[in-house]
Amino acid sequence: MTEFIQITVGGVLVGAIYALIALGFSLVYRVTNVINLTQGAFCILGALSTYMLEVEFGWGLPAAAGASIVAITLIGMLVGAGAFVPGLSRLSNANMLMMTAGMLTLLEGLMLVVWGSQPYAPPPFMGMEPVHVFGVLVPTQGFWIIGTTCAIITVLWYLLARTTFGKALRACAENPAAATLMGINVSRMQVFSIALAAMIGAIAGVVTAPTTSIQFDTGRLFTISGFIAVAIGGISSFPGAIAGGLLLGIVTQLATAYVSSLFSGAIALGLLLVVLIWRPNGLIRAGTQRRQDVRDEPRVWKHVTRLQPRVRTVMAMIGLALAIALPLFVPEGGIMSSLVIAGILFIALMGLDVVMGYAGQVNLGQAGFMAIGGYTAGYLATQYDVAPVWGTLAGMALSLVAALALSLITLRLRGLYLALATLAFGLLMDSCAVGLADITGGPSGLVGIPSFAIGPFDFGSPVAMYYLVLGLLVALMLLLGGLIRSSFGRALQAIRTDQMAAAALGINVVRCKLIALSISAILASLAGSLYAFFFHFLSPDMVGTSRSLELVAMLVIGGEGTLVGALFGAVLLTLLPTVFQPLAQWKTFASGGLLVLSFLYMPEGIFGSFARWVAARFNKPAKISTSPVVSHV
Amino acid sequence: MKSIPAIDVRGLNRSFGGLRATANVSFSIEQGTVTALIGPNGAGKTTVFNLITNLFPADSGEVYFHGTRIDGLSPVQIAELGLIRTFQTARVFPGMTVLENLLVGRHHKVREGLLQQMLWLPSAQREEASLRARADVLLKLVGLSRYRDTHAADLPMGAKKLVEVLRALMAQPSVLLLDEPAAGLNDTETAELAALLLAIRETGITILVVEHNMSLVMGIADQIVVLEAGAVIAQGTPEEIQRNPRVIRAYLGEEVSA
Repeated sequence: MTEFIQITVGGVLVGAIYALIALGFSLVYRVTNVINLTQGAFCILGALSTYMLEVEFGWGLPAAAGASIVAITLIGMLVGAGAFVPGLSRLSNANMLMMTAGMLTLLEGLMLVVWGSQPYAPPPFMGMEPVHVFGVLVPTQGFWIIGTTCAIITVLWYLLARTTFGKALRACAENPAAATLMGINVSRMQVFSIALAAMIGAIAGVVTAPTTSIQFDTGRLFTISGFIAVAIGGISSFPGAIAGGLLLGIVTQLATAYVSSLFSGAIALGLLLVVLIWRPNGLIRAGTQRRQDVRDEPRVWKHVTRLQPRVRTVMAMIGLALAIALPLFVPEGGIMSSLVIAGILFIALMGLDVVMGYAGQVNLGQAGFMAIGGYTAGYLATQYDVAPVWGTLAGMALSLVAALALSLITLRLRGLYLALATLAFGLLMDSCAVGLADITGGPSGLVGIPSFAIGPFDFGSPVAMYYLVLGLLVALMLLLGGLIRSSFGRALQAIRTDQMAAAALGINVVRCKLIALSISAILASLAGSLYAFFFHFLSPDMVGTSRSLELVAMLVIGGEGTLVGALFGAVLLTLLPTVFQPLAQWKTFASGGLLVLSFLYMPEGIFGSFARWVAARFNKPAKISTSPVVSHV
Repeated sequence: MKSIPAIDVRGLNRSFGGLRATANVSFSIEQGTVTALIGPNGAGKTTVFNLITNLFPADSGEVYFHGTRIDGLSPVQIAELGLIRTFQTARVFPGMTVLENLLVGRHHKVREGLLQQMLWLPSAQREEASLRARADVLLKLVGLSRYRDTHAADLPMGAKKLVEVLRALMAQPSVLLLDEPAAGLNDTETAELAALLLAIRETGITILVVEHNMSLVMGIADQIVVLEAGAVIAQGTPEEIQRNPRVIRAYLGEEVSA
């Protein structure tokens, strides 16, 4: 019994952090209708800067913590005014979520550059010795965590319920248009809400840091846990956020203690999926509901460019000739390998483009299918000597099954909930890759995977692999191109913005989504298998959530909804770090920054902008016909 | 009255909370005619459309389409039978050109499967080409050819409305339900729309139209159904409706004498 209480207390401590992060999510969501995924990074920023000021510069704890919290609040304000609020007026909610994922990556990249990739363990505020309370051991930092959580909740409640500022904030949450008419500067309130959330995040980070080890990308875990907590509890409700956080903390701690530490993540995700199916709006519902999963997104801040078939063919031929000739000019080595990797990732990206770029379904778990493909093919090859082709096909079949299972949950969901469900899927695959050590080799990875081979032909060298991937890409491009230019592709684009109008025209929305997700999963699986064969090795972080987010960044930077565009994103983000080796540590920063900039200033992506330029130059002007015929009938 | 009606609505009821949106709505539409559904704002016209196409289910009542009962079928199934609707706010698909918007209309009639499309088979190419040719003819018919490759979302409201009608037409419906097609159109555009609707009727397609523009309604309708507060209060030819005292009181006011 004592043990149980001991674990539950631990759960409450962990849960308090989740609750604080969830509170930040909820605060920003209520004012802007968007989940700000940067929240977790604010925590780590706060913790790391406090550590630096306190331990390395020798400031006292209060001064170090105070200065950090002020700095993070300012950073939050900067992020809000510079990217978040401008994005609100021109991006769909799903893309806003992606953009905040980009901002998260950006801040992580910043921390990587400043603090490096090593873990830090900040000292507790007071003494190491835990205190006995009724026979239960509580670390001293625990009291700080509980106290701070209670204090923040009280202050926040007072602020929102009793002050003019709070009233204005709530007005923006409930009816932005009316708030504007009442003379409230809604944009400014939105920036304030983000700054306030950043402050809460920083405080949470500073207080929590001594109980865990932190490094530049720990914020991602905080964000994900907070996101899950808020989805369990109910996004637009503060008590819900707190309850969700505590519940999640207690459940994961109990699962770690009584089941297995390797599967605690899977259990949390299972809890989330159950809640998403059972009560998609969370356990606690707030008074005003804004259902995001059924609302259509009419905001498309984009030009539509169509190249004429003649122009398209010429461009494709030039591109293909360049691609075939490229190995003649590129030396064997790093750059050649990077090109192969970019090509392999592009296979997964074509699938992602079908689902995200065309059908408009957010997918934050694409790498999960890569994991299925990679581990299946790798395991079969290393354990049973199965030929790579068969292993790859087996992976694709398994991915198809996984996609169908996932779609049971996701078909009804849109926007935020869809993002969350796909994210959960990716994480689930991730935790399986770590947990099923007998098959996957656990965290240290699966080693000794052979090269890809078809019968006697071995694709061991990068050049051979290059031409294999190129051949596959050409074939896939033709197949998908045929599909996208026909009625199926148009049906996907119709679903993207208006499911109801599409259904009224006889488009079977569910069927189309299912096919799109299946295609996407199969391609990701193929990419994952090739990736494993190319590296002769596969570890969970190569096909984890970071990879999923990176794929999204590549797609958006290259240009979504263009099929070829993602290639540019993939080449750019893979090649740059190889070419500029000394700047490799800036890679994360650059990928996040480019994603945010693309969303804000180049929503068509590299290829979209290029295509527009080509269209303006080489498309023949259409013949203009005369006045309507029907009015003379 | 000899043939089976294109649409036969019997006793449709639907409440939203305490509000009774439609009360025992019954009417039937002859094949090959234009019927206008009119009534003051909030009379339940769009609700009737939504109930017929089952965007949400009726509490009670039946809908027959060429004699087949269709209430309870999904919107997709209803569309596949050949009953196609447009929406009150022009819902063109953004991110697609005008031509592509039209082609989406034909989606449910496309015979060539995914595999044929993927493999660029000649049969799929031929079908695609014939679709495009048909869309071009329709665009030319209403004078929108120059917008063919324009982003549909960039069109002016009047053109969007026409595109939506054409898109519905591409679906080769036997019955078209048009929800306020003239809202937001100027006089010239309304005249063009009227000509288009009459041309559509000539091809044998039955039309049910919700509309506020009385000159349009009186000009093209063979039959008018008047709704007020969710109930049908009158039904008849434009002349009969114009003379019906209850309609004048409820809806048309004094203007009808003009």
